Amino acid sequence: MAEPVTTPAGIDGSTLPGPYGVGRYAAGLRDFLRERPRVQLFGEVWNLRLSRAKVYLELRDGEGALPCSMWRNDFDALRLGEGALGDGAQVVIAGGLDYYAGSRTSSPAFTFAVSGLRVAGEGDLLAQLDRLRKTLDGEGLFAPQKRLSRPALPRTIGVVTGEGGKARDDVLAGLRRRGWQGRLVWAFAPVQDRHAAPRITAALQDLAATGEVDVIVVARGGGSLADLFCFCDETLCRTVALLNVPVIASVGHHTDRTLIDDVAALSCSTPTHAAESAVPVHCAEARAEVLTMTRRLGVHARRALLHRAQTLARLSRAPGEHIAGERRRLHQRMREIRAAGRRRVEREHGRTARKALVLDRKAVAAAGDARGATRLSALAMALAAHDPDRTLERGYALVTDRAGEVVTSAAGARDAGEVRLRFGDAAVDATIGADDD
Amino acid sequence: MTEPQSYELATARLEEIIKRLDSGAAGLRETLELCREGRTLVELCAAELEAVGRGLEELRLDDLVARLEAGAGAG
Repeated sequence: MAEPVTTPAGIDGSTLPGPYGVGRYAAGLRDFLRERPRVQLFGEVWNLRLSRAKVYLELRDGEGALPCSMWRNDFDALRLGEGALGDGAQVVIAGGLDYYAGSRTSSPAFTFAVSGLRVAGEGDLLAQLDRLRKTLDGEGLFAPQKRLSRPALPRTIGVVTGEGGKARDDVLAGLRRRGWQGRLVWAFAPVQDRHAAPRITAALQDLAATGEVDVIVVARGGGSLADLFCFCDETLCRTVALLNVPVIASVGHHTDRTLIDDVAALSCSTPTHAAESAVPVHCAEARAEVLTMTRRLGVHARRALLHRAQTLARLSRAPGEHIAGERRRLHQRMREIRAAGRRRVEREHGRTARKALVLDRKAVAAAGDARGATRLSALAMALAAHDPDRTLERGYALVTDRAGEVVTSAAGARDAGEVRLRFGDAAVDATIGADDD
Repeated sequence: MTEPQSYELATARLEEIIKRLDSGAAGLRETLELCREGRTLVELCAAELEAVGRGLEELRLDDLVARLEAGAGAG
């Protein structure tokens, strides 16, 4: 298209010069900026992007930032190692301001044209992050969330995320995959830069304060560490650490951990994974398992009841069986008693026979003794018949000398001179006189 | 919030009960008691699953807070 031929009238009442054609003004701006003094700047590299012809990056510090670009050939000539210009890397750059004036078909762009670059060391932000991480760890703030018990089947899940972000759909997809259809409370908050941290902190506190939420998912769909720096905010991280509801962090960064990843109960790589972790149980499978357990309990209960019935039936038969058993035992005992009686009678019979035999023998012996007594009596009677006392009782006298010797003749009497005459009742002494004839 | 007896505790206890019953080591009285306890736990688990199976309810935090405040005001 050709340049407009005519220049339109200006704004009524305006004292400013013009109107000028924008292309001419843009070209003038470009020339003006290019005339600014060329300088060296230092700051942190963020969002490095490589294209075929150019390299784009942002140079930032705590007070501001500049969009920068560098010819790809110049950049490759630096021979920087892979990852040397990661987010937060501190660099010194040399160059000057430039402006691409654009056209009717292309957008204008302001840039600091880099002609030289030197890596100056670890970026301040990452160093601060590292110091804060060590501080929080030293205070033991990585542990409290991990000690909280996370319900296997939460009824209410809180989600902190950006309202228009893809993370929202990912969370819903994760919950669908679990078959979970409980109550989902959205606490939308900006999740883009460090200024978002207070809003995220407030959302977390408000969710926990309801007392209705079992677990909270903090989700973001990814981005550079610079964009995720809000999740490294000290106040936010201290709030999460001391929250009494478990927090699952998913800020979608694979290489650099944010601090919320450290203080949260669990850190997941994607919002979908975070949602699945919030509901560890697969609901459909759990229902099937509960049904299975119900059936198994039923089987055991029926088996137990059957066993009880069988036991009762056995017990009900028990008295009759017991009596029959006792009767059998009694009969047996009676048989044993009869047999024992017979054995005893037979034994006594034998013993009596032996005694009778002994008695017979004794009787025979006793009969022999009686005959002896009769004979003895006869002998005694015969002996008595010869007893001198019996003779003396009949009137005879027994003559003995002084020595007691029997004097059986007259001559003996004379020889003895002094004799004793013993009669049946007593004895008298006598003196033998001279013979008269 | 979850019941005092949580789903995970209930399922863990149920698994213990089934394991004990399957072992055949439980006597008649214990078996019946375990079955009774198991049925109670199954009902609890089923209620928990029912609570998260009636359809997804989505609401904003502000709506939840308003609902809670309305409930508190009515109470």
